[in-house]
Amino acid sequence: MSFRHRISLLQMLCEESNMEMKEKIAALENYIMQRCLWQFHSRAWDRETQNTGILGITRQLLCGEEVDLSTPAQKCFWVDAACLADGFRSKFPWINEMSLPEINEMMDGLKARIDYVTIHGSLNEELSVKLY
Amino acid sequence: MSCEIKAKERAGIINPMYTCQPAGAQYASIGVEDCTAIVHGGQGCVMFVRLLFSQHLNENFDIASSSLHEDAAVLGAVHRIEGAVDVLLMRYPHVKVIPIITTCSTEIIGDDVEGVIRKLNKGLLKEKYADREVHLIPVHTPSFKGSQVTGYDVAVKAFLQHFAEKTEPNGKINLITGWVNPGDVTELKHLLRMMDVDATVLFEIENFDSPLMPDGSAVSHGSTTIEDMKGTANAIGTIALNKYEGGKAAEYLKEKFQVPAIIGPTPIGVRNTDTFLKNVSKMTGKPIPEALVRERGKAIDALQDLTHMFFADKRVAIFGHPDLVIGLAEFCLDLEMKPVLLLLGDDNPTYVKDPRLLAIQEHAEFDMEVITNADIFELEDRIKNKGLELDLILGHSKGRWVSIDNDIPMLRVGFPVFDRAGYYRHPTVGYNGAIWLAEEMANVIFNDMEKKKDREWLLAMW
Amino acid sequence: MPYHTFKCSECLPDRQKHAVIKGPGEDITSCLPLGNLNTIPGTITERGCAYCGAKHVIGTPMKDVIHMSHGPVGCTYDTWMTKRYISDNDNFQLKYTYATDMKEKHIVFGAEKVLKQNIHEAFDAFPNIKRMTLYQTCSSALIGDDMDAIAKQVMKERPDVDIFVCNAPGFGGTSQTGGHHKINIAWINNKVGTFEPEIKSKYTINYVGDYNIQGDCEIMTDFFQRMGIQVLSSFTGNGSYDDLRSMHKADLNVLECARSAEYICNELRVRYGTPRLDIDGFGFDLLAESLMKVAMFFGDDCVAKAKEIIDEEVARWKPELDWYAKRLKGKKICLWPGGSKLWHWAHVIEEEMGVKVVSVYSKFGHQGDFEKGIARCGEGALAIDDPNELEALEAMYELKPDCILTGMRPGEVAKKIRIPYLNIHAYHNGPYKGFEGWVRLARDLYNAIYSPVMNLAAIDISKDDFDTDTGFKTRTMLSDPGTPREELHTEHMYTGKMDIVTHLRGKTYEFPAPDKPVTDAV
Repeated sequence: MSFRHRISLLQMLCEESNMEMKEKIAALENYIMQRCLWQFHSRAWDRETQNTGILGITRQLLCGEEVDLSTPAQKCFWVDAACLADGFRSKFPWINEMSLPEINEMMDGLKARIDYVTIHGSLNEELSVKLY
Repeated sequence: MSCEIKAKERAGIINPMYTCQPAGAQYASIGVEDCTAIVHGGQGCVMFVRLLFSQHLNENFDIASSSLHEDAAVLGAVHRIEGAVDVLLMRYPHVKVIPIITTCSTEIIGDDVEGVIRKLNKGLLKEKYADREVHLIPVHTPSFKGSQVTGYDVAVKAFLQHFAEKTEPNGKINLITGWVNPGDVTELKHLLRMMDVDATVLFEIENFDSPLMPDGSAVSHGSTTIEDMKGTANAIGTIALNKYEGGKAAEYLKEKFQVPAIIGPTPIGVRNTDTFLKNVSKMTGKPIPEALVRERGKAIDALQDLTHMFFADKRVAIFGHPDLVIGLAEFCLDLEMKPVLLLLGDDNPTYVKDPRLLAIQEHAEFDMEVITNADIFELEDRIKNKGLELDLILGHSKGRWVSIDNDIPMLRVGFPVFDRAGYYRHPTVGYNGAIWLAEEMANVIFNDMEKKKDREWLLAMW
Repeated sequence: MPYHTFKCSECLPDRQKHAVIKGPGEDITSCLPLGNLNTIPGTITERGCAYCGAKHVIGTPMKDVIHMSHGPVGCTYDTWMTKRYISDNDNFQLKYTYATDMKEKHIVFGAEKVLKQNIHEAFDAFPNIKRMTLYQTCSSALIGDDMDAIAKQVMKERPDVDIFVCNAPGFGGTSQTGGHHKINIAWINNKVGTFEPEIKSKYTINYVGDYNIQGDCEIMTDFFQRMGIQVLSSFTGNGSYDDLRSMHKADLNVLECARSAEYICNELRVRYGTPRLDIDGFGFDLLAESLMKVAMFFGDDCVAKAKEIIDEEVARWKPELDWYAKRLKGKKICLWPGGSKLWHWAHVIEEEMGVKVVSVYSKFGHQGDFEKGIARCGEGALAIDDPNELEALEAMYELKPDCILTGMRPGEVAKKIRIPYLNIHAYHNGPYKGFEGWVRLARDLYNAIYSPVMNLAAIDISKDDFDTDTGFKTRTMLSDPGTPREELHTEHMYTGKMDIVTHLRGKTYEFPAPDKPVTDAV
C-alpha cells in the first residue's frame, strides 16, 4: 500500500467516530512528514525547540486558546503552527468534532510521536554534534 | 614592423586559458582501452575535469579519485591509492591499465607513488589479482607546474615508458596526435589510409564520438591498446604532430629505442599538411597518391574563393594550446590574414625560442605580439583598454565573452568548446580541416557582417 | 533496517549502509542511510571537494565581487563556467575568475607575496569592483600561507576595498558540503554585522540558500517585493557582497536549501535572534503555503497581497500544469540531485505532476537531508547516499525510470542507455521556482519523456519492423496516441515566454514605510 493510499484510507477511517486515537495521530504525523520542514532542523536541541514551539501553538490554535506572539521566535512558530492547524482542519474534518480534552490528548500524543521520529528514535548521527 | 614575443606582465591569472596538469593526464588516460585512471588528490580534481570533458564532448568518461582528506596532510595518503586500486579492480573486471595521476596536494605531501606501486605489484596484484593483467603507471602531474598541456605531454610519455618494448620491427609508424578531437583522428587516419601507411595512433579517440544504440550498449572511450603501446618501440619511426603535446614521448622512443622521430609540424592548413605527408612519405617510402593531390586541390580551390576577397588583412587574435595557436597563425598567414595577437597560456620558457614563432617574427609584415604565460584577460584588456582592433578571434569557449561583449566574431576552436554544437566532430587538421576552418571563419565573418550591417550586401551579389 | 545492496557493491562492506529502500510501514526511524562520510577511494564517486562547495556553490553567485582562488590555476579554471547562476548585473561573476597561479617556487618559498600582488592587480584591472572573496585551495593550505594577514594588509593599503577570506581547501571534509559549512561560518564570523543597510520597508528578510539558477532567486524576490517585503540580502544567488554583510538587520531568514545554508541561519538565530523559516519555492501547493507563511509573519496587509499573487498565479498557470500532469501520470523518475532538491521535490512532484519518484539520491547530503527526503518519498523508493557510477547504472537498469533528474555528466550516462535526463543542477529551461517555473519543469519533463528523437533511438532498423507512414512524430502523437486533435487541448501546453526573468529587472516596488528611521550606527 502506498503512502498516499494509506493516508486516504486513514482519512476514511477517521470519518468513523470511534477511530482510535493512535490512528488519528498517525494521520497527523504523516501530514507533517510529507509537507513540513520545521521538524527537521539539524540538531536535537533545535528539533526539541521547534517541536515544542510549533506543536504547542498548534494545540493552542486548535483549542481556541490565546497565542503569545510577543517575540519574533514565537511569531515564527505561530506561522508554521497556523498553517498546520488550518491544514489539519481542512484535511481531517473530524478534528472539528473533537472535544478540548481529546484535542489535548491527541496533540500530546502527536508531540511525543514527532519527538520520537525526529529526535529520540532518529537514526541521524549528527543530531548531537555540538556546533552547527 | 615588429613582432614582440614576451611573457604576460601581471603575476596572476584573470580568466585562465588552460587548467592544470592533472586534467591533461586525464585526457590522455581516457584514450587508452581498458584504462581507468586514479587521480591522487581531492575529489574536485576529478569531478570537474570529468564535467569539462562532458561539456566538450557531450559524453561521460570514467575516472576515479583517491578521495584525499585532511588526515593525509599529516599522515600521507598512499593507503588511499592502495584502496582505490583494489576497489577499482574488484568492480571493473575489464580494467587493465591504471595510471596514478598525482596533483598539487599529493605532490606537496610527498606521497611515494612509485613506492606504493611497487608494494601493490608485489602484494595485492600478485595475491588477489594473479590472473589479471594489471598495469599501474605513475604519472607525476603537480598542478603547480606547467598546465594541462604539459600534463598531457607527461602522461603520453609515462604510458610509453611503461609499455614500449623492443621486439620485432612492426613496419608501422607511430602517430602521436597531441590533444585533438575525434574529428581530427578520423581525418588523420584517412590521410594515412590514402598513403597506405599502417600506423599506431596515439590515441585512438574516434570513439569519443559514440552512438546512441538501440540496445544501449555504446560507451565513449578511447581504443588504443596495450599491444599498440608496446609496439611503439618497434616502429619505423614516430611522428609527433604537436611539439608540446606528445613531443616528449617521441623523444623518449628515439633515445631509448632509436626510433627515428619527427616532431611537428601541426598539420593545420594546406602547407603544414603537405609537410606532414612528405614526412610520412620519407619515413615509410610510400608515395603521396594522386587521390590526395585531388583532395588537396579541393581544399585550395575552397580557400582560393575566400582569401583575398574576405580574409586579406583581417586582424586576428588567437588563443589556446601552443601548437594549435602556432598552426592557426601559420594558416592565417597563408590566407593573407594578420594574426596580430597570439596568446600561449603557461610559463613554458621554451615558447619564446620556438622556431615557428621566430620565423613568424622574422617575416611578419605588420605589428604583432606573442604573449606567453597569458590569460584570456590579456586579450580583453587589449581590446577594452589598449585600442586593439580585431576582425576575428580564434579560440575556445572559455573566452566567449570577450567576443560577445566586444562584438568581435569568434570561431570556436581548440579545447574546450561547449557553446557550439558538435565541433569535436570536425577536423582542424589535414586538407579537410583546412576547408572546415577556412569556411567556418568565413561564415562567422559573414554572420557578423549581417548582424552589424557592415557591407552585408557584399554577400548578396557575387 | 531495509538496506539495499547493489550487486556491483557487494564487494564493498563499507557501502552496505549507504542505500535503503523504503518498505511497507517504514519510516525514517527504521530506514535511513548513512551520510556525509568519507567516500571509498576508487568507487568513481560523483562528489566534488570542499573548495568547490565554498567557492563554486556559495561564493561565486555573489555578483559584485572579484572571486580569487589562491592556488594553482586548475581549481579556478575547473569551477568556472560550469553552473548557470545568473545575476542582474550582466553576469559579472560568471564572466571573470581569478587565480594567483601558484607555481613550484611559491610552494617552496611561500606565496604570500604573489598573493598580495595578485590582489592589487585584480583591483587595478577592475577599478569599479571594490569587493573580493579569496579562497584557499589544497596547495595554499598545505604550505600554510596566512591569507587573512595579507587581506588585512591590502585593506589597510586600499581603504575602499573589502576582502573576505574563506579557508576551505579541497581536502577539508567529505565533499562539497565541507566547503558549504566553512564558508557559512566564515561569513557570519567575519562579515555579517559590518555593514548597515538602507531599510526601505517595514518588513525585511534575508532570502537564504538560493543560488539564482536561471533566475530562481529573482522570481522569488519578485514575489516577496510585491508583498511589500524588502529582501535585504539573497544568500547568495544574485547576491550583493555588502547586502550580505547586513544580514543581521533582517526580521526573518527565509531558508530554501538548508543543506548548504542552514548554518548561517542557525548562527543568525543564536547571535541576533533572527528566526529561521524553512520554505519550499517549488510546487504550487508548497510554494503557496510558503508565501503565505512569510506574509503571515509580517501582517495582514502582507497576507492580502500574498493571496492576490497566489490566486492570480494559480489561475494563470494551473491549467497548463494540469495538462502536463495528465500526461506525466505514472511515469517513473529518479530524483538524483546534489542535495536539497531531493526533499524539496520528492512529494510535491508526485502530487502535482503525477510522476512516481522511484529513487532519490544525494551526492553530498547529510542524514538530515535523507530524513526529509525519505519522509516525503512514497513506498518503494530507493535512497542512495554518495552514489557512484556503477550503482547509478544498476539502479537505472533495475528501476527502468522514464527520466533521470540529475547533472549534465551523469545525464550523458543515462542517455546512452536511452533514458532521457533533465538537468537538475543548472536546469534545462528554467527557472523552475515560482508557479510558472513549476510549469516549465513539467514542460521540460514532458518534452524529455515524449521526445520524438528518443523514440527513434529504440528502433533497430536492422531487425525491427517500424512505421513508415509519417515523416515525423509530434510529442502529442507519442503522449496521446490516437486521441483526436480537438481533445488534446494543446492550447494548454506551456504558453509562457522563453525568457521570464529579464523583464523583472526593471520593476519598481512599493514598500510600507519602516516604523522608525534607522540610523547609521554600527
